[in-house]
Amino acid sequence: MLLATERFGWLPGVHCLSRRLLGWSIPLIFLGVLFFWPLTNILSRGFAGDWALHLVDARDWQITWFTIWQALVSTALTLVLAVPGAYILYRKSFPGQRFLRSLITIPFMLPTIVVATGFTIFRDAANVWTDPILWIIAAHVFLNYALAVRTIGSYWMSLDLQTEEAAAMAGAGRLRTVWSISIPQLRPALISATASTFLYCTASYGVILVLGGGQVDSLETEIAAAANTLLDLPKASALALVQTLLSVVAFGISQTGGRANIGIELGDHDGQVKRVDRKDWPALAITGAVVVLLVAAPMIQIFWKAATEGAGLVQNFANLTSLGTRNILNISVIDAGFNSLRNMFISATIALIIGVTVSYLLAQPTKRRSQVVLNRILDVMFLLPLGISTVVLGFGYLVTFGGYPLPLRETWLVVPLIQSVMAVPLVVRLIYPALASLDRNHIEAAATAGANRWQSFWLIELPMVRFSLYTAAAFAALVSLGEFGAASLLAYGDQATLPTVLYSLISKPGGDNYGMAMAASTFIIVLTFAVVFAISRENRPEPKPKRNGLA
Amino acid sequence: MPAQGGPLTRALRNKEGTKVQKILKAAVVAVISSLALAGCAPTTDPKSVVLVTHDSFVISDELKQEFEAESGYELKLVKAGDTGSMTNKLILTKDQPIGDAVFGIDNTLVDLAAENGLIDGELSPIDFGDVCFNYDIDWFAAKKLPAPKNISELTASKYKNLTVVSNPSTSSSGMAFLATTIAVFGEEGYLNYWTKLKNNGLKVVAGWEDAYFTEFSGSSGKGNYPIVLSYSSSPSAEIRDNGKSQTASIRTDCYRQTEFAGVLAGAKNTAGAKALVEFLKSASFQASLPTNMYVYPIDPSISLPETWTKFAPAALTLVGEELDVAGNRKVWLAAWSSLFE
Repeated sequence: MLLATERFGWLPGVHCLSRRLLGWSIPLIFLGVLFFWPLTNILSRGFAGDWALHLVDARDWQITWFTIWQALVSTALTLVLAVPGAYILYRKSFPGQRFLRSLITIPFMLPTIVVATGFTIFRDAANVWTDPILWIIAAHVFLNYALAVRTIGSYWMSLDLQTEEAAAMAGAGRLRTVWSISIPQLRPALISATASTFLYCTASYGVILVLGGGQVDSLETEIAAAANTLLDLPKASALALVQTLLSVVAFGISQTGGRANIGIELGDHDGQVKRVDRKDWPALAITGAVVVLLVAAPMIQIFWKAATEGAGLVQNFANLTSLGTRNILNISVIDAGFNSLRNMFISATIALIIGVTVSYLLAQPTKRRSQVVLNRILDVMFLLPLGISTVVLGFGYLVTFGGYPLPLRETWLVVPLIQSVMAVPLVVRLIYPALASLDRNHIEAAATAGANRWQSFWLIELPMVRFSLYTAAAFAALVSLGEFGAASLLAYGDQATLPTVLYSLISKPGGDNYGMAMAASTFIIVLTFAVVFAISRENRPEPKPKRNGLA
Repeated sequence: MPAQGGPLTRALRNKEGTKVQKILKAAVVAVISSLALAGCAPTTDPKSVVLVTHDSFVISDELKQEFEAESGYELKLVKAGDTGSMTNKLILTKDQPIGDAVFGIDNTLVDLAAENGLIDGELSPIDFGDVCFNYDIDWFAAKKLPAPKNISELTASKYKNLTVVSNPSTSSSGMAFLATTIAVFGEEGYLNYWTKLKNNGLKVVAGWEDAYFTEFSGSSGKGNYPIVLSYSSSPSAEIRDNGKSQTASIRTDCYRQTEFAGVLAGAKNTAGAKALVEFLKSASFQASLPTNMYVYPIDPSISLPETWTKFAPAALTLVGEELDVAGNRKVWLAAWSSLFE
């Protein structure tokens, strides 16, 4: 008996491995076919040319340097504003807090092309700071403020407050308490927020395209110009390589710095947060100014323009059923809206299925070293789509899926598919930590009660992480709704999406087009509001289940 | 609180699952069925012909019906970005082209299209437009300032802060003007000219539309710049109640853009594509070009509308026809960009 176990002891291991392989096969095929295949296809064309020359080209270095420094400045400003914001919105309490938390989330969820439009109006109305770079940085702060506030705030909420209180008791001023006690404690969240903000700012495309007016080049816009206007694939590939390296570095930092969740709406703290008081005025003033000037004002500007520009409110919205002055659109904004909703639904569902599968497999407990290393590699593989230029991937699709064996380009599915590839990393980042942190006791109890693996997953684990699931669904949906780079390449003809028609309207003003663009932006903001509020309503924390054992 | 039941019993009793699961299930079913539908749908339809064009292409419903009735094919349009990115997309996808015929490849890109074997047979010229400066007649009359007569005068101090052009890296009219300056001032002199323009308060915007409709004072945007880089045909669109155009063109030293159409190599419907190119050359389509796309028909027998002969005649002198724009683009743009970015 003993001998038999010794001899065949490896069998259950193999069985387990093959099962795991089977589970991995679907996400791996998905990623292989829809990400690595088109990517290698397009990059191999680029790397067949004299791409290496671009790594030593002075102008390309200048562009890389600009991309880095504007991202650093944007990130620094975002963090400086976000710390008081996190303090007021998460560490303290006041009436209307939940509403404000939702309000500041809107910019992060909006298509960047809408954000850029809002800031264009702002710039033209204010008529100060003619340097477009200043406006690009302002727009980046606007976009990432919520991300940073939430990352820092949710961590701050979970911190033990005793040290802070002790310091306050000992007579330290509030500013000093925050500076010398809270900030060091917040280090993991600060690093995580820095890395994510930096990442989003280096990959920024729509904002730089619109606000830069074609005279400011970052890596992403230069990649697009090289591929789109100059058909210089070697250059596009070289720059894409540089950009990916930048992203990988930022990822690495955010991973070592500890992870903090970026949930849409987190549960309230257990009543130990204090009300805002008079001593909080510096933080209140900064946060108030940010909310009014940076968050609300650009959106109000868009609403205002939609109501007053060109033909007026009613006509601007009525025009959404038209093709614009000079028929510049292929389909009306309303039809593009239907395309966007359809794409959003399909791509979010696919991203959820793949993302949840990957998260589940990654979260399986393992002690074997080889398995841990393998999981790490798989984890990074499924993160990669976040760091790849969407324009490069879009071109990959264009050359790969034209005909045999996969004529995807001919169908409308190509856009939701590529968008689902981009959403999978976000879904994994949200679901994997949630599944990994589940109390294994429930799962083991379920197994004891006779549930098989599937039942235990479907009926126990999934409902337990449902809030993360809602958030992941919303993120995936909004990635699809706002995605511009790939859609601008692949969604031509009658497949245009909201961001692509919006860009056509903004870049081709004249006649009623500008008013239409404002009405369309309003439409998108309202749609985004709807999604965010639907999620934050669903996300209300449930009463805690009473612990009365399992069955 | 019900008397018994932890999460497992509750879950097992309720086989249907919670709301999350119901939504997930429904979504999965919907996605799979739509994938199946898309997979089964016929991807090629021999009864239709697909025309790849740039974004500015316009065809009236009457003309579309005329073509469809004559040829028996349904006309489908794929607007694939501006002229440059449309051509690039066609080159990238030449093994499996995104359409049957193409309209809008211009004279700067003809060689590139030929080198890449994009076209089955020959490209046929369809229309042309002349890139010239326009000025706001009313603005100059009010300021009692004579309007500039050629591009050299734009660097004069009396025209400081008056001129707006589109960026040559992002717009074809901007590129045409860059070529114009090279033809007029030579490879050794054009950057000097641009430096002077820059010092004289030249405004550069991303696209022709921004320049003309937003920044130009003589059009609907009522902007702050009375001189704009546009086309010799543009004044025909600015005719006011008094029957006169508010704007006029500087008709010397203009750059002519000719647009071509052709059958794409590897087209699924070559016969339909040929019929379509013939239709684009036909009298009825040619006659629609001025009003629909603000360009001159290539067929000299087509008479222009009266407002065109009066206010929007073609350029008097043309330059830059001998330049290899496609071949030198990258070098010129790099030099220009180092000056302006």
